[in-house]
Amino acid sequence: MKGGLVVVVATGAVAAAPLVASTYHVLLMLPFMAYAVVLLGLNLLFGYAGLVSFGHALFIGIGAYTGAFLTTHGRVRSLEVILVCAAVLGGLVAVPVAALCVRYVKIYFGMLTLAFGMVFYTFVLKFYRLTGGDEGTPFLRPSLLGRSLDAMPKIDYLVGPYYYYALAVLILATLGMWRIVHSPFGLCLKTIRDNPVKAETLGIGVTRYRFYAFIISAIYAAVGGALLGPPTGNVDPTLAYWTHSGNLVFMTLLGGFASFFGPVVGAFVFIYLQNWVMSIVPYWRLIFGAMLAVIVIFAPQGLMGLVTRRRPVPPSRA
Amino acid sequence: MTQHVVNVLLSGVFHASILFLVAAGLQVVFGVQKIFNLACGSFYALGAYAGVSAVGWYAGAGGPPALFILPLALAGLAVGAVGIVVERGLLSFVYDRDETFQLLLTFAVVLMMEDAIRMIWGTSPRSTSGLYLTYGQVRILGAVVPVYNLIVIAASLAIALSIGWLLTRTTFGRIMRATADNREMAEALGVDIRRVYAKVFTLGTALGTLGGALVIPATAAMSEMGIELIVEAFAVVVIGGLGSMRGAFVGALAVGVLRSIAISVYPELEMLLIYLIVIGVLVARPRGLFGGAAA
Amino acid sequence: MILQAVGLRKFYGEFCALDGVSLRVDAGEFVSIIGPNGAGKSTLINILTGITRPSAGSVRFKDREVGGIGPVRLARLGMARSFQLVQIFPDLTVLETLQAAAVARLGRGGRLFASLAGDREVQEAALEVAELFGLGDKRHTLARQLPQGDKKLLDVASAFALRPEIILLDEPTSGVSTADKTAIMETLVTASRRIGLRAIIQVEHDMDIVFAYSDRIIALHEGKVLADAAPAAIQADQRVIDTVIGRRAGAR
Repeated sequence: MKGGLVVVVATGAVAAAPLVASTYHVLLMLPFMAYAVVLLGLNLLFGYAGLVSFGHALFIGIGAYTGAFLTTHGRVRSLEVILVCAAVLGGLVAVPVAALCVRYVKIYFGMLTLAFGMVFYTFVLKFYRLTGGDEGTPFLRPSLLGRSLDAMPKIDYLVGPYYYYALAVLILATLGMWRIVHSPFGLCLKTIRDNPVKAETLGIGVTRYRFYAFIISAIYAAVGGALLGPPTGNVDPTLAYWTHSGNLVFMTLLGGFASFFGPVVGAFVFIYLQNWVMSIVPYWRLIFGAMLAVIVIFAPQGLMGLVTRRRPVPPSRA
Repeated sequence: MTQHVVNVLLSGVFHASILFLVAAGLQVVFGVQKIFNLACGSFYALGAYAGVSAVGWYAGAGGPPALFILPLALAGLAVGAVGIVVERGLLSFVYDRDETFQLLLTFAVVLMMEDAIRMIWGTSPRSTSGLYLTYGQVRILGAVVPVYNLIVIAASLAIALSIGWLLTRTTFGRIMRATADNREMAEALGVDIRRVYAKVFTLGTALGTLGGALVIPATAAMSEMGIELIVEAFAVVVIGGLGSMRGAFVGALAVGVLRSIAISVYPELEMLLIYLIVIGVLVARPRGLFGGAAA
Repeated sequence: MILQAVGLRKFYGEFCALDGVSLRVDAGEFVSIIGPNGAGKSTLINILTGITRPSAGSVRFKDREVGGIGPVRLARLGMARSFQLVQIFPDLTVLETLQAAAVARLGRGGRLFASLAGDREVQEAALEVAELFGLGDKRHTLARQLPQGDKKLLDVASAFALRPEIILLDEPTSGVSTADKTAIMETLVTASRRIGLRAIIQVEHDMDIVFAYSDRIIALHEGKVLADAAPAAIQADQRVIDTVIGRRAGAR
């Protein structure tokens, strides 16, 4: 299968990168992999359930701060523990948020999620004695698979063991999401995206499925958020700001929300393009804003849509 | 004690006056075009920076300080013309699309304007040093209040009344309300929707830019002011009800005064309290106080 | 008795759509609801299928009070419906649509990590319904790319895929050419025998279809039941002829 071959080759390329590419580019892969995990989750909500969240950065923030707090204040350094805690906390917070938000659709859903995201941002910003305010909290170097690698120089750690750990997490996350999307659950999600009224007459409870999709996407976002911490060694409130949530949706749209790998492609293109643009001129937002406008107007199916020429389903109209 | 309360209330009402202008712009666009314009905060920022430049030029050209409010307000209104560019050049292409894409397009405008403003005015804050107290101060119940604030409050009130008059007494206002109510019907009755949309969006933009210009003497123009204000404006329209002018008025007062109280009592709270109220309103009464259709 | 409605009233503001409608459907019956436009037929169907709440009155399904429990729970209890304006899942294939119905019926919606393609029961059930409705060779076609008649068939087929005890069809042959109408009805009847359907209620305008297939006909007019009897009696009922059927211009 052609698609499968592309995926295998791409994974191979990513795995080989630390051996052949420059350190600079390899380091850029780290946030890409973290965002790819986040976006795999976000697209379950956006592309498969048809809900646009403008507050998903909330869960990135939760995951990142969980890791930061565990390493700095909790003396826990195991990345496995951190990721599990991030996932659990993300899921727990998602339960009440989802319970409230999935009863609404379209603009109200977007507004509610935005509000929740900003609540977290404000909380973390203002209660600086606890969280370090706008300077953030340090995220100390986690140990991988029980082995503390504090002695290693930072760069070697990041482009070596940490890189492959993050890649492994991304691969696992992708496999998991692939299963979910191709499961009976995934099919039910697609029905409520396409026609919620008809789905209900088939016995598929719309609110219920949106709720679970939200929780899963929140867990993915939290895990991705935790992975964002170690490369910079610090997490700060801007991770939860509403424009960060907007960028997540942007990345998903860029890659193509109607395809499984679209968001991953979107994360990759966004990060590399942003990096390249910033090296030439500091006004990446101007260029990216124009790019988003072009995509929305001319190519709403994103890059994957241009490649495969498959028409996407716009988010639900219910 | 009284003077403290008066200070808190009046500064809250001053902030509310500015918020009202931006929120009114947001409401007018949502009400008629059903688009939630995330860029309204960016227009506010644009107006602020333009105001600073205009006043700076005016002072440099030797204009009498007492009249500074004229170039300020005029600059604010003038850059509202950006609305036409955004509407014709971008938004008009997505009127028939799903509202998600419309929202994302306004987000694209947010991004572009953030950097456009940086390109033109740089990243350091700009202010109109010293002009704030040109009109002096008065004592109200023991509190010292800059006259400028009172002027802005009065102006905002006047604009609120004008908008009310526009909506209820003029033909265009009636057309606006008809289009807001039922676009297909209005079109069938011969209304040129495209022109209405262009005018309404420009009006909405101009209200925002004016608000930004008027706030300038009291605060500095900073690069984050746009993306920060949108969240407050958004709180206003949620509490007041999407699409309602009365809602913008009451919502702005509520947010402005509550924020002022929150800051004076427990500074950390500030916007946190507002967001919690927003969530509460969205859950208990999604239509807000005066809103129309339910969620 | 499978479905019973007593004294249903529905007001939209001041407008009265249904004014005290009572009906009853027993096992083995094929009931047609007829009436001019605006008589309240679709409102009645929407209330019976849980999408709309009645302003007054009750609905009992299999001896349970089901007023206002909503379409999801009604579907699980064994009631299915199709729509007047055809409702499909535009970006799902025919097979996927029917799989979704099978998944819902078998209660497999909670399986996050199971493979849909590997679920034999679901696959076989979906395929069976597809063949039953003559959509077998179009099973990989996207629903939105189907011709109108097939979309209607799919709408009905997905209702059947729930293996319900009672099915309510809102104008199953509307928008479909005359030649296709009989085909659809025959498929319906064959399918209902295959899956052990216990009763069918349809809203229908085509009087030939109505008289050819119904055990009983309920005529609605201005929100009230005008007549509720076997086809022969209905044909002779002057009020019904005047308001709904019209006079036959010569023998057919």
